[in-house]
Amino acid sequence: MHPIFRLVNRNLTISLNMGFVIWQVIFPVIYIFVAGFAYTALIHNVPFGSKNLDYPAFIASGMIGFNIMNSTLISGIIIWNDRRHGMFEQILVGPFTRAQYILSNVYTIGIIGLFSAGLITAIGYPLFFKSVAFNVFTVPLVVFASITGAILFGSIASIISTRLKSSEGFNVIINTVFLFFAFVSTAFYPAQGAPPVLATAFYLNPLTYLVDVVRAGIFGNFTDTVGYEMVVLVAAAVVLFGIATKLLSRLEI
Amino acid sequence: MLCIEARSLSKSYGNVAAVDSIDLSVESGKIFGFLGPNGAGKTTTIKLLTTLIPSSGGTVNILGIDASQDPLAVRKRIGVVLQQPSYEPTLTVEKSLEKYGMMWDVDARTRRRRVEELLSAFDLQDIRKKKNDDISIGQRRRVQVAREFMHDMDLLFLDEPTVGLDPSARRGLLDYIKGKVRDGLTIFFTTHILEEAEYLCDEIAIINRGKIIAVDSPDELKNKFGREKTIKIRVGNVQNISDMLQGAGSYEISCDEGTVITIHSADSEQVLVKILQVLNSNNVTVEDLSVVPTSLEEIFLTVVKNSDTGTLGEP
Ligand SMILES: Nc1ncnc2c1ncn2[C@@H]1O[C@H](COP(=O)(O)OP(=O)(O)OP(=O)(O)O)[C@@H](O)[C@H]1O
Ligand SMILES: [Mg+2]
Repeated sequence: MHPIFRLVNRNLTISLNMGFVIWQVIFPVIYIFVAGFAYTALIHNVPFGSKNLDYPAFIASGMIGFNIMNSTLISGIIIWNDRRHGMFEQILVGPFTRAQYILSNVYTIGIIGLFSAGLITAIGYPLFFKSVAFNVFTVPLVVFASITGAILFGSIASIISTRLKSSEGFNVIINTVFLFFAFVSTAFYPAQGAPPVLATAFYLNPLTYLVDVVRAGIFGNFTDTVGYEMVVLVAAAVVLFGIATKLLSRLEI
Repeated sequence: MLCIEARSLSKSYGNVAAVDSIDLSVESGKIFGFLGPNGAGKTTTIKLLTTLIPSSGGTVNILGIDASQDPLAVRKRIGVVLQQPSYEPTLTVEKSLEKYGMMWDVDARTRRRRVEELLSAFDLQDIRKKKNDDISIGQRRRVQVAREFMHDMDLLFLDEPTVGLDPSARRGLLDYIKGKVRDGLTIFFTTHILEEAEYLCDEIAIINRGKIIAVDSPDELKNKFGREKTIKIRVGNVQNISDMLQGAGSYEISCDEGTVITIHSADSEQVLVKILQVLNSNNVTVEDLSVVPTSLEEIFLTVVKNSDTGTLGEP
């Protein structure tokens, strides 16, 4: 087996434990079903392009992007844990190059991102099946956005992993980033109708772009705006991935 | 054949010369002990030899491969147990051995066989289903060392592998290593426990402040630096024994409550004869007599002290 796949195999084994999977399933399910139906009383319909989505369908589609971010931030922690538990040095003194280590993390994050997106699509499908517009154009769009988003958030976690020394600092920062990304985004509520300051803040957040593109794919509502959002998403992913790679390749032993 | 050959190898961290232009030659099939006080440069040397960090100067040749030309080819043929602990907290003991073998591309059948072998050899059967997070530090160290034997290699670096191990685990590990060396493995080994080095090593180098200050077999080191022996003589309770022995030669002498005489001297035989004559002529009966050869530990202390005070070479 190629060294990168051996490392991916190892990364998946250490990440995909029971706790991770439960967290990945239970948390979104609670959000989709509990929050989805609880808020339906307050938010009846969300206009989305030419369609009118009910709130559970809106939040279920938003949870796909959210879950990609959630899982890749967690898998970005692989690097942090490897440094903390001495496995970073042990791997680099083994039959691997640093480039292989970095690439294996990218693949792992991509796989976990897709896995999460697939999982939530399956769970959320009963809620948004009335409005879905899956076809040869929209499905690749969702897959592409999922992978781009995974690399983007994986890079953010990697950057944090390489910059920090203490566990407390790492947890505080990851949680802060996570909270901001999660709640200041269009994952849970639409930008239209939000106070202008908040609506602007939404668009300083990569999760908003990811969620918007995934939604556009699911509901077949590809507008010019979505096109720009796609470009922003890819550009941000490329830049952050570049920074993460640079930091990782310079990381002192 | 030389397994490790380093010439003028150096590594500086800022102003600190962690490794200062050392030369090393290690022959295949041998156990090479690398000793030195804390901060002497042992770990740094291992990191340089295993290509983990770049050197500031000099050359390294491992198993005939130029390490600066093809570090990956070197790493594929060596095993390394670093001083720093390393483990996968979420995996069980047996799974971490298994996955480590997978990472080294060992086929599944061989992996299964080796996992069983190593769990037994390192006394890990009882904790095989426990997670690495839930075992003791010494047990974790045992897993870390055992894990390295999952894959084939020609040369193994062990940086203080026995730290935290209980006496029987330690002896078990040393004997396991000896067995592997009989099968053709070469070992580069650091320790602070000098009996271990004496028990295990064919050759020993002592490093201090980044420089190698002695290299030889344990016996030769003792011959060179350890001619001084300690003689202990127990006699009946006698008054003024120090005065009595005053004229018997120039050597360090101490008398414990007038019953045990301890003498350090390089020409122990001659001194012993003189002392026995003195005691005899004073009608003192000798109850017990022993000559203790210098231990590697004392040699280590002497050599390091000499190098610190600048009196390199023989004492
Ligand atoms: N990453 C680093 N940055 C700066 N200085 C370092 C670094 N690593 C080691 N040193 C310095 O290099 C010297 C040699 O350290 P090294 O770890 O090789 O010692 P050692 O012989 O292995 O000691 P010990 O017996 O305590 O393990 C020390 O003075 C140490 O402070
Ligand atoms: Mg050390």
